[in-house]
Amino acid sequence: MATQIIPKRKAAAPRKWFTWDEYTLTIILFLLPSLLLMAVFVVYPILSSFHLSLFEWNGIDPVRTPVGLANWERLLQDDIFWRAFRNNLTVVALSIMFQMPMGMLLAIMMERGGRRFIFRVFKTVYFFPMLMSSVSIGILFKYIYDPSFGIINETLEAIGLEGQSWLGETNLALFAVVAVICWQYTPFYMILFLASLNSVSEDLRDAARIDGAREFQYYWYVALPLVRGTVRTAIILSLIGSLKYFDLIWVMTEGGPNNASELMATYMYKKAFPSFDMGYGSAVASALFIIVMILALSAFYFSRRLETEV
Amino acid sequence: MRKVLFFLLLVAMLIGVGTVAFAQDVTITFWHIQNTDPGPELIQQAVDRYMADNPGVTVEVVPMQNDPYKTRIRTAMGAGDPPCVFPSWGGGPLYEYVQAEQVIDLTDYMNADDYVSRFVPSSLSNVTFDGSMYGVPVENTAIAVFYYNKAIFEQFGLTPPTTWDELVAIAQTLIDNGVTPFSLANKTKWTSSMYYMYLVDRIAGPELFASTANRIGGSFEDPAFVQAGEMIQELVEMGAFIEGFNGLDYDTGQSRIPMYADEAAMELMGTWQISTYLAENPEFYEDKLGFFAFPAVEGGAGDPSNVVGTVGDNYYHISSTCANPDEAFAMIQYLIDDESVALRVEKGRIPPVVGVSAMLTDPVLQEVIKLVENAGAVQLWYDQYLPPELGEVHKDTMQALFGLELTPEEAAQNQEAALAEFFGS
Repeated sequence: MATQIIPKRKAAAPRKWFTWDEYTLTIILFLLPSLLLMAVFVVYPILSSFHLSLFEWNGIDPVRTPVGLANWERLLQDDIFWRAFRNNLTVVALSIMFQMPMGMLLAIMMERGGRRFIFRVFKTVYFFPMLMSSVSIGILFKYIYDPSFGIINETLEAIGLEGQSWLGETNLALFAVVAVICWQYTPFYMILFLASLNSVSEDLRDAARIDGAREFQYYWYVALPLVRGTVRTAIILSLIGSLKYFDLIWVMTEGGPNNASELMATYMYKKAFPSFDMGYGSAVASALFIIVMILALSAFYFSRRLETEV
Repeated sequence: MRKVLFFLLLVAMLIGVGTVAFAQDVTITFWHIQNTDPGPELIQQAVDRYMADNPGVTVEVVPMQNDPYKTRIRTAMGAGDPPCVFPSWGGGPLYEYVQAEQVIDLTDYMNADDYVSRFVPSSLSNVTFDGSMYGVPVENTAIAVFYYNKAIFEQFGLTPPTTWDELVAIAQTLIDNGVTPFSLANKTKWTSSMYYMYLVDRIAGPELFASTANRIGGSFEDPAFVQAGEMIQELVEMGAFIEGFNGLDYDTGQSRIPMYADEAAMELMGTWQISTYLAENPEFYEDKLGFFAFPAVEGGAGDPSNVVGTVGDNYYHISSTCANPDEAFAMIQYLIDDESVALRVEKGRIPPVVGVSAMLTDPVLQEVIKLVENAGAVQLWYDQYLPPELGEVHKDTMQALFGLELTPEEAAQNQEAALAEFFGS
């Protein structure tokens, strides 16, 4: 065996996970302002919600009665909360099933359209729903869904179909609102996907063409695999957003009728504020936090191999 | 050294100036929710007159929207920083504040110079707990009545009913002719509660609910509550209410539009809606608007002259953290002095003071005040009378009852169970 002639590299000292050098201090210094804000407006309220969930408190009384885990026991047996949880899962499933493919289709359309004027108009128009506030969208769609005067029922009746009371029926209300949520958020994913599609190098498209790929084959075999990291991010965003969803449900149905469209967040608000039950409302809030955390972390974990550069 | 001395002197001067300024300047924070016309003006003129008469007192007026206000006032109280003067509807939520010692007992203020005799007695019952008064009634008198479209009634030869059976017959006639009898926006929930409250009152009288809500002998499982539920569901099954009512929102006018469009004939609603009609659709108000009192129920024990509503609608209270309660109370008095009362009447309100009926010129308001004056009893809205937690249960139950998702018995049991849990027995 030949003697080792290449000088051995000096073995690096085992890296400690933390040292007080200049570099670390700089990082801390730059992070400090946002860390402080996070601590005051995110970490503290979350901890304080957990703390409040251990009390029976109406939100105004100077006296809070500690009740241990009674609120949590009540939560586990609360049919309405679990119904709300299932409704949240429905929103998650429908949002991902509809918004992702639709967003991608629109993005591909926009990418192929390129800089032509009409496509730039489309791009702006499709983005409109994202620019409107949820409350105005909610009120707008309340009129659109109006059983007697809404444009949907008028149209259905004009072509001989029977109108529905979209927001007034227990088996329709949730789906009626989810449709609006999808309408509102699809453009967001369109823009996200469009940006990542644009970042795929033109050379790859040319190469694929030379190899005889059709447009569909280019997107399916070349572009989509390259942007799967963005798709993953989009799905996780949609998952988290749907789990903590509040706005349109609150404006359009307030979780009704008869809790048919109740979500965890609307239920939390109803308990904490109109019902003067801050303790239980905090338990719902904390449960919501735990559920979102678990589902989001597992989504991250199980999809980690999909991570890409764009 | 000179610099330090100079600096100290400057600080001392600033402190001195500050103290003098604070000593002279009393500030009263005042939240209100009269944010739609003519509300802000009614409040501001009184505050301006008060400040003109009391130099040195500054009133900081903060107008707010109805629903956000309910959250904000609770957050402010929870944080120990409520405004000096704030509004409420009296009843259960106010009682929460009283028990939490967040509001000042105004009994002595009200009794000074017999100020209390200025108000219609029924206006004070919603703010009186254990013999002490906690609020000043100011804004309005509001009771629920049936509004109807005179043109539609004329077209089918109908006249306002005096009994429930007549009302049901009218509904049937209208349905047969393709007109929806009742408009109702029940996403808002308290809207449908009006039918229930009136029916219970007509069937059993006001004592039943009072003894139920305070858990002194009454029960939601009393046959009267169940019967009220049955009578409501009878109407629902007839198709008497507008399609999809459980998804319609009162606050965005979805119950009034069908009335304006001649598609629905009646709506049971508070008298605040009169000024809304006047603002939204003056032609409808002029040509078609009529109203009648809730009809009697045959064989019912309740006095058919009773009304459901509130005399005082928006009381003002002084929070216990207020540093200047004397000034605050004097300021509230300006809101309901003779000048303010005259102005309120002119703007279509009915302030809850004695002798207001003589001042009213609007024929509709005159009719309303007659109903109130002749009423055997005024039942406050259940959702305001009950403690907030139970008020929410009541409203949810109403939506389910009207949606035929609960039987009248189940609706009664639901409310009884919530009540039992609340009182711990």
